[in-house]
Amino acid sequence: MSILKIAWRSIQHRGLGSLLTVISMALGVMMVVSVLSINGLVSRSFRNNSSFGYDLIVGARGGGTQLTLSSVFFLGRAIETIPYEYYLAFCDKETRSKEFRNSIAYRGNEEQFRALEALNAVRMAPGSAGWGAIAEGLATDFLNRHQTAFMQIDERGLFSNYVNFAVPILLGDTYQIENSDAYFKVCATNRDYFDKLTLGEGKKFELASGRFFDNDDSEVGYFGCVMGALVAKTSGKKVGDQIKVTHGIPGESGAHIHDQLFTITGILAPTGTPNDRVVFANMEGFYLINDHVKPVVESTGINLRPDRDEAKSLADEGTKPGVELSDEELSTVRLPVEQRELTALLVSVFDEEGFGLAAQYLQQPIEQGNLASTLNWSKFRPLQAQTSAQCVNPVQEVMRLFVYFVEPAKWILLALTTLICVVSGLSILVGIYNSMSQRQHEIAVMRALGARRSHVMLIMLTEAIMLALAGGLIGWLGGRALNVALSPIVERQTGVPVRFWDFAPAEPVFAVLSPLLGNSDFASRLVKFQMSPELLLIPGLIILAVLVGVYPAISAYRTDVAKSLGK
Amino acid sequence: MLELKNVKKAFIQPDGSKTPILDLPEYNLKAGEQAALIGPSGCGKTTLLHIIAGIVRPTSGSVKIDGVEITKFSEATRDRLRANKVGYVFQTFNLLPAFSALENVMLGMAFSSGRASSTRARELLQRVGLGHRLSSRPKMMSVGEQQRVAVARALANRPKILLADEPTANVDPANQQQVIDLIRNNCRQEGVALLLVTHAMNVAEQFERVDRLDEINRVVAAARGVA
Ligand SMILES: Nc1ncnc2c1ncn2[C@@H]1O[C@H](COP(=O)(O)OP(=O)(O)O)[C@@H](O)[C@H]1O
Ligand SMILES: [Mg+2]
Repeated sequence: MSILKIAWRSIQHRGLGSLLTVISMALGVMMVVSVLSINGLVSRSFRNNSSFGYDLIVGARGGGTQLTLSSVFFLGRAIETIPYEYYLAFCDKETRSKEFRNSIAYRGNEEQFRALEALNAVRMAPGSAGWGAIAEGLATDFLNRHQTAFMQIDERGLFSNYVNFAVPILLGDTYQIENSDAYFKVCATNRDYFDKLTLGEGKKFELASGRFFDNDDSEVGYFGCVMGALVAKTSGKKVGDQIKVTHGIPGESGAHIHDQLFTITGILAPTGTPNDRVVFANMEGFYLINDHVKPVVESTGINLRPDRDEAKSLADEGTKPGVELSDEELSTVRLPVEQRELTALLVSVFDEEGFGLAAQYLQQPIEQGNLASTLNWSKFRPLQAQTSAQCVNPVQEVMRLFVYFVEPAKWILLALTTLICVVSGLSILVGIYNSMSQRQHEIAVMRALGARRSHVMLIMLTEAIMLALAGGLIGWLGGRALNVALSPIVERQTGVPVRFWDFAPAEPVFAVLSPLLGNSDFASRLVKFQMSPELLLIPGLIILAVLVGVYPAISAYRTDVAKSLGK
Repeated sequence: MLELKNVKKAFIQPDGSKTPILDLPEYNLKAGEQAALIGPSGCGKTTLLHIIAGIVRPTSGSVKIDGVEITKFSEATRDRLRANKVGYVFQTFNLLPAFSALENVMLGMAFSSGRASSTRARELLQRVGLGHRLSSRPKMMSVGEQQRVAVARALANRPKILLADEPTANVDPANQQQVIDLIRNNCRQEGVALLLVTHAMNVAEQFERVDRLDEINRVVAAARGVA
């Protein structure tokens, strides 16, 4: 009969006690596994997702962390907005001209602007010295009268030469699933979001069905939307279905469902990123939602109420003067620049040398408020509009977030769960300790049958290790099952699905030992060595079991045979 | 087979003083010989068996089993020797409650150098009349049955000598004779020397050789002489 079998019989014999010990061990391990893998997977996804192929986020002044959380991870509350002109500062001349020609300022003074354009053409024409001076005079006169810097807006943007692209996003609205409390964030953006941004290492967005909406879509106009995989799965919506978005967060004061219907043109394939739990709506349609229309201000300084009629009359003014537009027709008229605003810009910097240039040419002037000077081109802009802006590096922000929140939280959780494991380890010890007097007698009998001290010691150790490993294995499987059970919640909160076989990602697990290791070659290699912390669990458990098994083992070793036999 | 010479044992008391317990000028047992050992309680019978089994080391003197001097050996070597050459039957049976009858007998072979054979264990249990109770736990068996399992366990390794320490003291009177017969017949059959400690005169009377430890142990004899 082997040592293993003898130990196993002893465990069996103490059935309930052994079971309770194993369960407490399993619970401890289950917590550790779950904490390690969920924390690891979420952390990894945080790190990976902070590079979507853009380098900078421009948003309203405030916490850089908040800006990053909401723009990259779609987490947290709505933040302040920035003027649409800040987006235009990154655009080429063509985009800007188009917006300009759709502005209230332009449409309200169309004839004058046309004349000015003609004058400009003359001024710029070669060999027109005399005319040029006259044209310049007229233009200056016009500019003075209108107090605008519209020429600026008809040129390429201030920063357009420094960027590959800038993708605008608008946050704050939600999509509440019909007949349910569940809701998801809505991100209004344009086609560039899917065309220009990437997932992780250059991976493009893919569709599970349908297609991306066009900015001016031939089928759905401005009211197209694309659903993230999780939203589609949760809501059961299909391509072609129509949804309404909610202003704000459902259930909170001021929240209400907008009338406008957005048509789902496509459903994203799962990305394993926060994009899975977001509805992407066409920004143009989003702007036309009734109370998204921002109040405009006339030179009188009177604040106009932002209602549908107002928007309608403004639109009428610019398109077909004197003609009443129906709601349907109105929805085909783009909102003028003056009434637009944004939550953030995701900017990819044109820079061969990395981030240095971006900091120099973009971050500094934006942080210093240089963009505010681009705002006074139209007297129809809202006076109360935000003008401040900040420019953050999402990677830096995420790293900061890590150092301040995620890492300490992880250590606290790990400390707690390790404590649980130690406690359950102690429960093995207590279990064995409580039966020690009975065991000592059994040990003496085995010794009388010829067992050596090393035998009985090994039997006790084996028993402790078997209990720990059984608890460990059950706990490990339990932890995986717990992960699967928690996955919907984790996915909802962070966008990261946790599957059964998703191990805690590899980490430099021995880095914590670096102060103890000195700086030998082996030490530096050990510190850099990466493995899943879960793989340390088994040796860890064996060490724990040996530690708790040592006392009973020594006590077994010391058992006085002659005395214990008499008992 | 068993040769003891000038074996002395003294226990050190908690206050540091030495209390002599045993002083045997000579004690021998031939191979296959059977002897009953009697004497009043406390005269050192159990201590003598422990010394022969190598569980306790004598303070001085020589103990030879099968021609091998064991007092010089390390504890581990004595353990191995005990596993291979000595069978032990206790007053309180001392079966391990976690193991079945068969497993208890197999346990008797677990620590010896020979290979554990379940055939041998089954055969022994059959011989003590428990062929039908192989998988019973000790708890489920009567005291008589338990002691029979203990006898089978002690013989499992084909020892040279079987030490039985009051094997019937805890067995009900109706089954005492059966246990004694089993021990004696099996020892005879396997050629195992037997040293059986008993209080019961009716048991001792059955042996051709009966040793009175209170007479041969000089410590006790001297004390009595004084009295
Ligand atoms: N480990 C020990 N320490 C001290 N005294 C002991 C020890 N073991 C036995 N004794 C003493 O030795 C004497 C003989 O004991 P024992 O051999 O058990 O006698 P018996 O088996 O004949 O009744 C008793 O007086 C007992 O108290
Ligand atoms: Mg005794």
